[in-house]
Amino acid sequence: MSTWHDLVTASLIGTERAVVPAVGIPGLPPAEDDGGDPAAVLLDRAALLTAARRAGRRPDYAQPLPQSEPDSRPVVSPAADRRLARLLAGEYPELLTEWLTAVTARGLRAAPQSLPVLLDRARRARSADPALADLVAEAGGPRARWLAGLNPDWEFAAASALSGQDAWRLGNTAQRRRYLAWLLASDPDAARDLIRGGWDAAGPAERVMFLSVLADRLSPADEPLLEAARHDHPEDVRRQAADLLASLPGSALGKQMTERARRYVRIEHAARGPRLVITPPTAEPSQPDRGRLVLEIVARTPLRTWTDRSGLTAAQVAALPSGDWAPVLFTGWVRAAIAQRDHEWTAALIGHALTGRPPRMAGEIQALQRLARRADPALGAPDTLPEPRPDALPVVGAALGVLRFRHDMLKELSDDGNDG
Amino acid sequence: MLALAPDASSLRAAQPLTSGRSWLVAAAADDRALWGECRGSATAPYRTVIDLSGPAYRCSCPSRKFPCKHALALLLLWSDGVVGTNDDPPEWAASWIAERAARTSDPQNPKAPADPAAAQRRAEQREARVATGLVELDRWLCDQVRQGLAASQRAGYRHWDDIAARMVDAQAPGLAERLRALAAVPYSGAGWEGRLLEEYALLWLLAAAGRDQAGLPPPLRDTVRSRVGFTVRQAEVLASATPVGDYWQVLARRDLDQDRIRTRRVWLRGRDTGRTALVLSFAAVGQSLDDSLSVGTEVDADLAFYPAAVRLRALLATRRDTFPGRPPTGVTVTGLLAGYAAALGEDPWLDTWPVVLDATPARAPLPSLYDQAGDAVPLHPGAGDCWALFALSGGEPLTVAGEWTPRGLWPLTAWDQGGRPVPL
Repeated sequence: MSTWHDLVTASLIGTERAVVPAVGIPGLPPAEDDGGDPAAVLLDRAALLTAARRAGRRPDYAQPLPQSEPDSRPVVSPAADRRLARLLAGEYPELLTEWLTAVTARGLRAAPQSLPVLLDRARRARSADPALADLVAEAGGPRARWLAGLNPDWEFAAASALSGQDAWRLGNTAQRRRYLAWLLASDPDAARDLIRGGWDAAGPAERVMFLSVLADRLSPADEPLLEAARHDHPEDVRRQAADLLASLPGSALGKQMTERARRYVRIEHAARGPRLVITPPTAEPSQPDRGRLVLEIVARTPLRTWTDRSGLTAAQVAALPSGDWAPVLFTGWVRAAIAQRDHEWTAALIGHALTGRPPRMAGEIQALQRLARRADPALGAPDTLPEPRPDALPVVGAALGVLRFRHDMLKELSDDGNDG
Repeated sequence: MLALAPDASSLRAAQPLTSGRSWLVAAAADDRALWGECRGSATAPYRTVIDLSGPAYRCSCPSRKFPCKHALALLLLWSDGVVGTNDDPPEWAASWIAERAARTSDPQNPKAPADPAAAQRRAEQREARVATGLVELDRWLCDQVRQGLAASQRAGYRHWDDIAARMVDAQAPGLAERLRALAAVPYSGAGWEGRLLEEYALLWLLAAAGRDQAGLPPPLRDTVRSRVGFTVRQAEVLASATPVGDYWQVLARRDLDQDRIRTRRVWLRGRDTGRTALVLSFAAVGQSLDDSLSVGTEVDADLAFYPAAVRLRALLATRRDTFPGRPPTGVTVTGLLAGYAAALGEDPWLDTWPVVLDATPARAPLPSLYDQAGDAVPLHPGAGDCWALFALSGGEPLTVAGEWTPRGLWPLTAWDQGGRPVPL
């Protein structure tokens, strides 16, 4: 009695050269050789055996997998999971970090079925965005670690999270950052000692990280370090230190910038109402260095400078006519509002971009886009901001779109979950 | 609108005609009628009229498809908003529209086929062509086995495309499609020769059954005819089938792209009858598919099943309401295999069988699903890594709906611990 395998072998060689094996099926009388075309006989037998093999299939055996450890955190709502799918599909991909951070901060976890795509994304972004792997591992919890045990590509998520001093001594930049942020909140002096002690040995990336941690809880005690960093290399350390100094109340740099700003940018009360008059050190606004100089000054000037003496609100200042200088002032204020985390100015500037003179220059549009990604997402709540003017460029409406997207995204994560 | 297409191939044929260039004239009167003149292979353009109230179609082309590709193309153009308005149809269109209006308003005189004798003649011609095609297929299959399958692996795609084209000429598109799909088998990994022999053997069986239709019990004959490529008109299905009313759970759905046509398969299961149903819809690539059946819901509806030995394909005859559904109950691996074996007894060509399984995914020795008894079935190698299924399970059992095939289970939906459906 032959098997299916013999039949396959014969068909592979061809009945011109091979003999058609007889096949048997349990419960059926053996097929008779009717002496016809061997090819037809083979096909007959193969048809019979195919049906018999398919219908008579037996179960296989499988090796069970270990079970994933439980995760007591609730899964994000289906709406939040759908939002994640949109982020992963390329809609505002830069907001993925914010989504993951918010998930973890709210004691939630990502839906398990989304973890494979998240892990793949984190793996591909490992050189460009090393912090993403940690965020994914954290939002994924034990299930992400379990998956990492099955797929070597995701090994990075298998390492159990380093905690406490180990994270500081052995961790990567993201882990060190998290430890430092935690320490700064619980024991600010210890954290500052750690930063001061480590500053000289730290590379540029590490220094930028130090400054970004300090930015969350700036104190006058940080001024000496920031002053030193302001003359540091490279450019982004210098720039960040200067931004922080400007937002530090009473800092020497802040005072200096206020003084300069008042010298070059004045509020004048003319017959048709107040307006901003800019008198750059010399020459015309069209000259790039003049524009650049005013921009740098405005960007580093404490925002209170503009409202304190004039008695105007941020929105009123932002709306003052300033002629050709308007794009420069707008860009400078946006940078200041981001660096100084000033909510009132942020709202005023976005509101102005929507309803006042529409931004047109590449620089101010870029600034607006950055602001929309850094602003308090509450601004994206319905009816909080006006609709853009009809003559505004589409990018202005898009900036509003980002804010609304972020607002909805974070709302889904705070709502009590399972809303379908 | 695309649901009006009698089958995927008519829709495919209509695609090239949806460029405005094919149409010398195309216009619409209100939303009542459409007409157009389309360049064809004949010297005179084909004249197509559509009564949108029916919809009903008339076209001067010789196609036996109903609606023909010209009518479909005209409808596609119209739904894209490309057809301009003209309330003054030309004589050839106006007369038909008027005639129809008169007839449909007169219930005593139901519409009859334009020319029953001609229709009969065409049907007989087709039967004869298909019969010749089946003989040709027989001979071809014998040749393959005589020369040896090793030769077909070296032959490349052309090898199957040629015989498929001959089956198209013989008006057996079902056979053509099966043959075209075989071109991929030699590249489907280890064991390809066994899979190719299985497919040849089943085609051999189908050809034999097709030649001997008179000797088959009617349901099996319907199956054989539909697999050969005879289509049953939707209107006929709706008119002849006894509708099956139930709360139909939408278990799973799968979209396939083939030759610029997307086919959506939606699997349903009746809560009370326990019957499984397959609802197909078609769209051109880039156009959206029918989205009205969403996985996880339950639809109160009457289904009209196409005639077949294993009745799976169905039309939504009446649809009443949609509810949020609950997870379906699954079977064991033994239950799955027994169910498939029973269905194979009715239809030996059945190679896509809907199942709901309660099982746990495993990775070794092959990616598979095993049940409480430890019985396992492999996952279909074409379904990929199935990481979402594994992630959802975390090593715990879950309910999975999918398509069982001789190569393994193609998972399509799994229900999470909260009982929510997750498309895979």
